[in-house]
Amino acid sequence: MSAETLIQVLASGVATGCVYGLVALSFVLIYKATGAVSFMQGELLMLGAFAVLALHEAAGLPLAAAVVLGVAAMAAFGALLERTVLRRTLGPGHLTALLLTFGLGMVMRGAVGAVPAASHAMHRLPLPFAGASVQLGGAALAVEHLAVIAATALLAGALTLFFRRTRAGLALRACSENAGVAALMGVSVPRMHTLAWALGAGLAAVAGVLLAPVTFVHPNMGLVALKAFPAAVLGGMTSLPGALAGGVFLGVVEALAGLALPEGAKDVVPYLLMLAVLLLFPGGFAAGLRGRP
Amino acid sequence: MSAVAGGRDGARDTRRPFAVAAALAVLGALAGWALGADYALAQAAFVATWAIAGLGVILVVGQCGQVSLGQGALLGLGAYAQALLALRGVPAPLSLAAAVALAAAGGWLASLPARRLGGLYFAMSTLAFALVVEEALVRWESLTRGAAGLAVPSLALGGWVADTSPAQALVAGVALALAWLACRRWVASRLGRAWRAVREDEVAAAAAGIDVARAKTLAFVLGGGLSGLAGALYAHWIGFVSPEQFGLMLSFELLMLAFIGGARQLAGALWGALVVVALPQAVSLAVERLPPGLAGAAGIETALFGGVLVVLVLLRPGGLAGSR
Repeated sequence: MSAETLIQVLASGVATGCVYGLVALSFVLIYKATGAVSFMQGELLMLGAFAVLALHEAAGLPLAAAVVLGVAAMAAFGALLERTVLRRTLGPGHLTALLLTFGLGMVMRGAVGAVPAASHAMHRLPLPFAGASVQLGGAALAVEHLAVIAATALLAGALTLFFRRTRAGLALRACSENAGVAALMGVSVPRMHTLAWALGAGLAAVAGVLLAPVTFVHPNMGLVALKAFPAAVLGGMTSLPGALAGGVFLGVVEALAGLALPEGAKDVVPYLLMLAVLLLFPGGFAAGLRGRP
Repeated sequence: MSAVAGGRDGARDTRRPFAVAAALAVLGALAGWALGADYALAQAAFVATWAIAGLGVILVVGQCGQVSLGQGALLGLGAYAQALLALRGVPAPLSLAAAVALAAAGGWLASLPARRLGGLYFAMSTLAFALVVEEALVRWESLTRGAAGLAVPSLALGGWVADTSPAQALVAGVALALAWLACRRWVASRLGRAWRAVREDEVAAAAAGIDVARAKTLAFVLGGGLSGLAGALYAHWIGFVSPEQFGLMLSFELLMLAFIGGARQLAGALWGALVVVALPQAVSLAVERLPPGLAGAAGIETALFGGVLVVLVLLRPGGLAGSR
């Protein structure tokens, strides 16, 4: 195996890992702020990709406008869901949240799957750089992979600024740390919950747009979110940077496993890793969970 | 979710079966009249089989309060054990026992992380367990023939072959009755009280002298055994097993089944099984009436299932069998 192959595999692993990381980030963001386990992040991702596709192909908007509008629409959709459905039922019970979000995800997946135009053909987002590659030394790197990595880095930077420098970001963090004390300091906890779901849905939609050039856009593309759970666990379940790092790590490990291990091992490695992490470091990770009422 | 409500679970179950049996008899008669007896009996076999699987989920999730996302994999273990043994000519009583034992052992394995993990972390470990089992079924091609799947012969008990709908419904009904009686005993016993105590508050349960790890392990072993039985019967009724039938989706469907029916009561398994079997049939009947090409049936079915789940969680969190 040459160094060039290794670099190419690493680049594609990091790019895939960025998508895992973004979905894990949205999952952890919602979990930390509201205490709810969301099993519909994959469906939100799929819906986001379809929203952008519909705005671009059916409504004829330019791609950039479609992406911005689609992600904004998904954020609004997340807020709407929180206001209408999620707020009414989500308490401390994991099972309720799990089943409710899973049911909502099924509704989304079913609704998209029931539209013949969406389910009968594979779609591609016609991004300008799709299929192109750049030469770096001897290695040919796909531009879409580099674009995914760059977009994720930009987004991570923007999120860091949001959480450190803005009032809403600080309030959201305060709410995640201790909702009761945050409420005493004048933070409106219900509004922070709405904000968390909006951000979570928006992030998932961005992940969908970034995933679109790598895979196709289809109703089951949300399955990628299953890899977000190991990523979130690797990152410690309650840490936003940890979730992103966990995702990237997982993507790289998966790519390397695909290169070095027999076929099929690639799909199991993330879950074996997660089991190992869960069993070897339960105290450290579980501490965050036990602190939650 | 008070401790009082938890204590009443057992008592409520002793009164329920009559109402459930009466309702089922009426529903069964209606279905037989509307759809033909053979078809109705075939569906009844599936309802009874899913209800057995539902009982397994109810022990683990409803009684012991552990979120398991790996129940579908246990069903798969039972189904594959039964299919492989039946293909090699092992008599059904032996192979059924082996299927139940294998799934129970799988349940024990899946419950091991519960000694160190709780809540969401444990749920994640069962999810990993389910995905690893599914992948193993795909990759162990010399034994399972991988994704191509295995054809399963009819269930043969001695010289008697259950290859007609009435025979299948009879076998499934008897199995369900036995499983139900066993579950009633377990739920009403010291073990059942330990499960409900663990569900309400693990620390308090431990303080009261309950061996929490043992209670969880037993819930998974017994629940796994029931899943194995359901999987073994299901493999015969459907006549074909492949790994993707027993994926994560099935685990979620079983959770849905228990939750739609009502995870706190044993009767919930029956109600949930009825809904899970009837809803796809109703949807496919309805879609046949629609103009072709208007909408995909699979999508509508998924959306409708999700809708039922959401509405129930919102309006009737105790499930169909639950108290208002």
